[in-house]
Amino acid sequence: MRRNEENGMKWLTRRAAIMMGGVALATLPMRSVAQTPFRLGLTPVFLDNDAVIIDRLRQALAGAMGREIELVQRRTYEEVTGLLLERSLDAAWLCGYPYLQHRDALDLVAVPVWRGKPLYQSYLIVGARAEAASLADLRGATHAFSDPDSNSGYLVTASDLIAMGARPEQWFSRAIFTYGHRNVVRAVADGLVQSGSVDGYVWEALEKVEPDLTARTRVIGKSEWLGFPPVCARKDVADAEPVRALRGALMGLSRSEPGRAALAALQLDGFQEAPKGIFDGIAARMRLLDT
Amino acid sequence: MPRILRRLPLSLRLPLLGAAMMVLVGVVASQQVLSALGRVQDARLRELAALHVEGLSVALGPLVLRRDVWEVYDTLERASSESEGRRMILTAVADDAGRVLAATDPRRVPVDSAIDRVAEEAVPLDELSVGTSESIVRLIAPLEYQGRTVGRIVTELDVSDLQRERLRAVWLLLAGNALATTILAGLGYIAMRQMLRPVSTLAQQMAGAEGEPQPIAERDVPPGDGEFARLARTYNSMVHDVAAKSQIERRLAERERFVALGRLSSSLAHEINNPLGGLLNATDTIRKFSDRPEVVEKSAELLERGLRHLRDVARVTLDQNRLEPDGTLLSVDDFEDVRLLILPELKRMEQRIDWCAPENLIPSPELPAAPVRQIMLNLLLNASAATGPEGLIMFRTQVYDDGLEIAISNSGPPMSDAAQARLLSDVALAPGGGVGLRLVRDLVQELGGRIELARADGLTTVRVFLTARKGGADA
Repeated sequence: MRRNEENGMKWLTRRAAIMMGGVALATLPMRSVAQTPFRLGLTPVFLDNDAVIIDRLRQALAGAMGREIELVQRRTYEEVTGLLLERSLDAAWLCGYPYLQHRDALDLVAVPVWRGKPLYQSYLIVGARAEAASLADLRGATHAFSDPDSNSGYLVTASDLIAMGARPEQWFSRAIFTYGHRNVVRAVADGLVQSGSVDGYVWEALEKVEPDLTARTRVIGKSEWLGFPPVCARKDVADAEPVRALRGALMGLSRSEPGRAALAALQLDGFQEAPKGIFDGIAARMRLLDT
Repeated sequence: MPRILRRLPLSLRLPLLGAAMMVLVGVVASQQVLSALGRVQDARLRELAALHVEGLSVALGPLVLRRDVWEVYDTLERASSESEGRRMILTAVADDAGRVLAATDPRRVPVDSAIDRVAEEAVPLDELSVGTSESIVRLIAPLEYQGRTVGRIVTELDVSDLQRERLRAVWLLLAGNALATTILAGLGYIAMRQMLRPVSTLAQQMAGAEGEPQPIAERDVPPGDGEFARLARTYNSMVHDVAAKSQIERRLAERERFVALGRLSSSLAHEINNPLGGLLNATDTIRKFSDRPEVVEKSAELLERGLRHLRDVARVTLDQNRLEPDGTLLSVDDFEDVRLLILPELKRMEQRIDWCAPENLIPSPELPAAPVRQIMLNLLLNASAATGPEGLIMFRTQVYDDGLEIAISNSGPPMSDAAQARLLSDVALAPGGGVGLRLVRDLVQELGGRIELARADGLTTVRVFLTARKGGADA
């Protein structure tokens, strides 16, 4: 009996140990999930080449959300949008154009406020000494677009050309994609191409931080005011905790010191809820492109 | 060898040749150094260009395949900003069709332009060289990716710093070589001078202070038994021999005057002795007929004439001995003196003389008396000896503005070869022969005159032409 008891004790002890281990194992993944960094995708909508800006944004958001933020950068809008759609990202700072392309799967989290409004423009730029005065003068020129999925860096100029009865691939002798608004400015400033389509916000921000670069370009056309590139999340997780936390963090950036530092670096006023119909202008241009 | 170089003294010519050799060696060495420097620079340039092209090929291969203009440009930009000392001043990349995809200077080489436009004068990697003419060299290289050529790269390399380096090397070499050559040539000059000093000394001593070779001082004779030492000793020995010979000749010439007088002395003794009998008779007559004034007067006249004659003979003899060369100038009295000196000898030999001396010397050629008298006396004695007993001797003179011609002929046989050699040439005197004719030659030469010998109508004539010295009267 004693022997059995001893055996029973041993068994119990072993079982208890296994159970305890099981509990421990069950709790580990939960803790792990809770500590997974929030993955925020970034498109080259802003000064994506500046590590300081990226770092300030990451710190501000991490502080506000109380968790690690992993900022994921890719070369093209398509790659970032793809990562967001396949759930490799929790949210992404996209552009109005890809947002509208995937409107059925994506939801708006927040929209940046620039110069008091959640709006921006697309600029058509040429070299500082070029004679062209409008898009009509650029027939046969070499042209730089930012990204085929960029509103300001492609859609606006392409839709303008369609409105003029032309197509980009025919209008320009050669059109290249630089996959970055700053690159468009560089390509035009250096004379690699004669003209470029660039995000107006980026051009204005560059004028402050790199005036020598923008001084070598000249804005010959500005689009109407369009919805500023928004932060988006998939619809199915739009109301989930991490995304809500992100929305809160973005909205509250102007209220914290790191947040204000990040906004100052981004030259933005803050973030707000996207007003209704803010992207109607972009949608109209998309329709023009599809015709 | 250029004439001007041949005129230079040996002690200057040899160091100059040494310096020229140094310059030649310097030039060849500099050429070698520059050539080596050029090879090193070319190798360095090729290595750098190869690395550049290889690096670009790796980075640009996929971009060129995709014809991604922006990425090609961006890569070129980053590569050029990091390249060594901005050596690559332009790089253009074209696709396999030769259309430019991007260049570091897009304004100069636009997108889609033909790469051939910028590839003019471009050379492949193995022909890349710094050169000297152009400060920019162009390289064309295939852009290879995954084993195939997908495009072309043209790069302009700024080689001006390498050329400056080469130019600096040229100047440094020039300055260094010039300095080294100068120093070595100077040292060589000093060394050669030192080595050739015996030759210079020999040349100086041969020229002599008064045109006569001087012996080399014993302290200047190089020590040991080398060539120069033997040369100096041989030279000194020769100089001593020459000096001894000329001293002997001088002594002989000096003695010749006395020889001539010696030959005349017996005749002169007769000349004195003969009248002595008459004179003694005259004194006896005076003693005996002292009371007869007319006899005394006649004897006294006889006595006086005889004594005057003796006085003249004595004076002429003394004058001949006393006369110093270059002393008094020739006068008509000298001709008479010579006649007085020679006449007794001719009388003894029973020879006739046809004497025709100038009555005056107008114009007056300024000739020293002593050597001219010696010339006339020697020639007359020689003529007397040559013509034999009862022979004929002719004495003629001709006075010119600037000189005097003396012609002495005799009816004897033609002058012997040995005598002609003594009178007309400088050949060494044969032992045994007299020195009278050689003395005539020497004296005539000293006076700047000349001698002619002629034989006509059974007469041997020696003509002496003497030229008056300029300023001789002041001498």
